[in-house]
Amino acid sequence: MATGSRTARSRFTLIFLLLSSATLLTLDARDFEPLQRTEETLTDLVSPLRSGADRLFEPVGDAWTGITGYDELEAENQLLREELQKLEGQQILDSDAAIRLELLLDELGLPYVQDIPNVVAEVVTANIGNFDRYSVQINRGSEDGIRRGMPVVTRGGLIGRIDGDPGRGYSQVALLTDPNFEVGVLVVGTDDVALASGSGHDEPLTVTKGLEIDTEVAVGHEVVTSGVDRSRYPPGIPIGVVTDIDFDEARLLQLLTVAPSANTNNLSFVTVLLYDPLAGES
Amino acid sequence: MTRANAYLRSALFLLTALILHMALFSDLRVLGVAPEVPLAIAVTAGLVGGPERGAVAGFAIGLGIDLYLPTLFGLSALIYTVWGYSVGLLEQRIFRSAWWINVLITAAATAGGLLVYAVLGELLGQANLYTDRLYEVMGVAAAYNLVLSLPLLALWRWSWPRHLGEEH
Repeated sequence: MATGSRTARSRFTLIFLLLSSATLLTLDARDFEPLQRTEETLTDLVSPLRSGADRLFEPVGDAWTGITGYDELEAENQLLREELQKLEGQQILDSDAAIRLELLLDELGLPYVQDIPNVVAEVVTANIGNFDRYSVQINRGSEDGIRRGMPVVTRGGLIGRIDGDPGRGYSQVALLTDPNFEVGVLVVGTDDVALASGSGHDEPLTVTKGLEIDTEVAVGHEVVTSGVDRSRYPPGIPIGVVTDIDFDEARLLQLLTVAPSANTNNLSFVTVLLYDPLAGES
Repeated sequence: MTRANAYLRSALFLLTALILHMALFSDLRVLGVAPEVPLAIAVTAGLVGGPERGAVAGFAIGLGIDLYLPTLFGLSALIYTVWGYSVGLLEQRIFRSAWWINVLITAAATAGGLLVYAVLGELLGQANLYTDRLYEVMGVAAAYNLVLSLPLLALWRWSWPRHLGEEH
């Protein structure tokens, strides 16, 4: 009898919890604001504990990365040494390229990113699970003026955008490498606005839509955000450099492979551009 | 120890596990894969405390981790609830197990839970869950949780001693 009532109770509990989960899923999918506020409050409550634990265990995590990633680090160091040698040898060419990019951006009438109000944020956590490889969390949020969709950059260029509604003191950043990430781009020196998308961790970006087959593009050309009307990104943010060109004869389009100019691995600090092209329209 | 104390211990254990997962275990990656501590918590709760406690612990730790994941809020809670309950039921009805069987169940349930998470997540419109890397993640996370299961089982027994009774 007692066993029967316990079984009935555990079934009732299961059904109650399942219905609660399903309700939360539905409300979240519909961007139900009170739920989002509750999530923010709960996250803010746990935040001090988490920050303390982060600081406490940071050396352990670093040591682990040092041990398990030693070969990787060594290979990366070797690569960096080679790149440094190349850079030293091509310093003059590089400065020429920078001047050329600046001039081209000028010609196109693209404003500089530095003019846009921005907030520097620290990356407080990279992914915490095994399914969130394309996002990081930063320690700035709505109270700093950050809103959903704002572009996030480093010195190298665009690295992502604010994903979802930020909390008061934190935000989630969707990284450029996410295969679902799309951004309107312009190959500097052309007029065609195209669409670039991520291709996964440590993979180059691809441009598969919008670039006419007769547009003159060459390997080495710089790619920047197009900033066309109502784009969520301002014009002229560096995206990367064209490393390969292919042709889609059926659709009469060029397909570009673009090496990102900004590194999305091991991010420490990022800059959120407080850019909202739709502000004031609502 | 009273039941009130046991509830308090369980809540403390869940909160500590959540914080430790985010601050420590998520950095201790092998082949780029972190241990799935919250899933292991749900499964071991079911193994030690039976289906009801497995479901409640799974729901609680799932909600906690959902706060920090970019996927839909409630997805982990839903899956961990089912997993905690099912493993508790299996243990009760079929295995009545030795410690090493519990360890193996934790590993197998981890792999299965990740697969269900990825498939259900994709069905609900979440991207990048069912990828080429999924089976590697399942294997490494299962091995990781196999190691973690022993201390987790011991901690659940500490937070809810046997004399308070399993909710079978």
